[in-house]
Amino acid sequence: MSITTSPPLPITKAGTVGSTELSRSEPPIIVFEKVTKVYASGQAAIQDASFTVRPRDFVFVVGASGAGKSTVIRLLIREERATHGHVLVEGQDLARLKHRHLPRLRRKMGIVFQDFKLLPNLTVEQNVAFAIQVTDPGRPHLKEKVGEALYIVGLEDKLNSFPTQLSGGEQQRVAIARALVHRPRIFLADEPTGNLDPDAGWGIVQLLQQINHRGATVVMATHNREVVDLCRRRVLAIEDGRIVRDEAEGAYLRDGDAIL
Amino acid sequence: MNPIPALKFVSRVAFQNIVRNRGIALASVLTITLTLLGAGMAVVVVHALDGVLQTEESQASVLKVFMADHVSFASEMNLEQTLEHQPSVARATFENKDQAAQQAGSSLGLGQAINLLEKSGAGNPLPASINFHLRNIKAVSELNGEVRTSAILDTGPHPTDYNADVIPRLERYIFIAQLGGGLVVAVVGAVALVIITISVRTAAYVRRREIEIMKLVGATDWFVRWPFILEGVIVGVLSALVASLILVIAGLGFGGGHSLALGIGWRFAALTVLALIVAGGALGSVGSFVGVRRSLAA
Repeated sequence: MSITTSPPLPITKAGTVGSTELSRSEPPIIVFEKVTKVYASGQAAIQDASFTVRPRDFVFVVGASGAGKSTVIRLLIREERATHGHVLVEGQDLARLKHRHLPRLRRKMGIVFQDFKLLPNLTVEQNVAFAIQVTDPGRPHLKEKVGEALYIVGLEDKLNSFPTQLSGGEQQRVAIARALVHRPRIFLADEPTGNLDPDAGWGIVQLLQQINHRGATVVMATHNREVVDLCRRRVLAIEDGRIVRDEAEGAYLRDGDAIL
Repeated sequence: MNPIPALKFVSRVAFQNIVRNRGIALASVLTITLTLLGAGMAVVVVHALDGVLQTEESQASVLKVFMADHVSFASEMNLEQTLEHQPSVARATFENKDQAAQQAGSSLGLGQAINLLEKSGAGNPLPASINFHLRNIKAVSELNGEVRTSAILDTGPHPTDYNADVIPRLERYIFIAQLGGGLVVAVVGAVALVIITISVRTAAYVRRREIEIMKLVGATDWFVRWPFILEGVIVGVLSALVASLILVIAGLGFGGGHSLALGIGWRFAALTVLALIVAGGALGSVGSFVGVRRSLAA
């Protein structure tokens, strides 16, 4: 498998914000404190996991299928609650977050999934606008905001296309544009390249890096070895629900580990 | 959140849902129309029956006290005035022998027989009476007991027209009619509620991806819920309108085209239509609320 160089991403009006020095002096934006998640079936998806993520970090959460990567994402969006321990987002303990305040948390986050989660009967523009219409229907300049999000992902010329008329990579870009319209501080991606060919997958990872450079914290769960190895960003490796490795500029596998 | 764009969006989604799931919506309208029709018919029948029973009750609430022939006018006036001031008595009217004969002639068809008796010299056999109109049918028995002790009453076997059997029977009929009507309305209401709940649950299942996305991007539960509730209200009100139309057409048909059958007045008909619309809307909103709850919890 090889990755070819994808076309350059559009240059945005906003400047880059990524500053590691600055983020080190700020409190963590995400905290996992001895988190254990046991599902009703009795399966422990996460066991005693502790880590922090600083603002504007880019973190790969890696591991085999069923290792617990998606559970990390689900705990962060409070789709699941920790059985033990604490998950904090921007200092807010998600276990104590009232249900009625959940939408406010979700609006701070951009979330994308492997299966894109687009509405097939809506156009690209409508799919992106949907995120605003259902949270803030009176927001002014809706069209401009949607246009800007689509410009960032390079799909400004596909406004009227339907998802089925797009490639997988383009569909994932629409999902990213939809996640961007709220200008999230945290961007969560659960296997965003899982359904894509290597080139399209690499394009998506580049896009997420650009979003990170614009100031968002990115947490990406993946088992795409090539992109992790190419990016050399922070890697959190999970095995059987346990954090087994946390490296600042890591690779998918530890040196000497066998490829399964 | 600005309410006007929110309302616009919710309305648009609700109508889109109905159009998109028109098969389910049509089935819901049909079944809810049938149930509301059943409820409407039950209300109309109970109302008509209630009217008949009330007429019977008002007639039974009059105690006719027959006077002996020799009683003086002063004694009659004394009895009338004494009892008329009791709280249970609404009013009292005196009916002399001639009026009694006239009444028997017109309502019972006994005019010819009375004429024959008068011509034969036997005179008018019917006694004069005081009619006590009571406020409550239950007071008839008490007044009857009280008035029977008076010496100026007819000495025949029936000094009053009190019939001990009639009143409990009427009360029983009224109770059965009201209970039966209430049960029918409750059962069809419950059926309609279940149908709307299932229909909205199906619609929510069809739209589960949309709901999932709404929740992921930060829509509140109420924002997710409103289109479904509006959809339920639209379906419920539409069903109520169809059921009302059928009821009115049927009422006019059986009533001869100019008035409604069973002596139902237009005012009552309008109130019934209004009640069905309110009931349809309420059933729709409650059914939708319950129907979409599971999707929100997921």
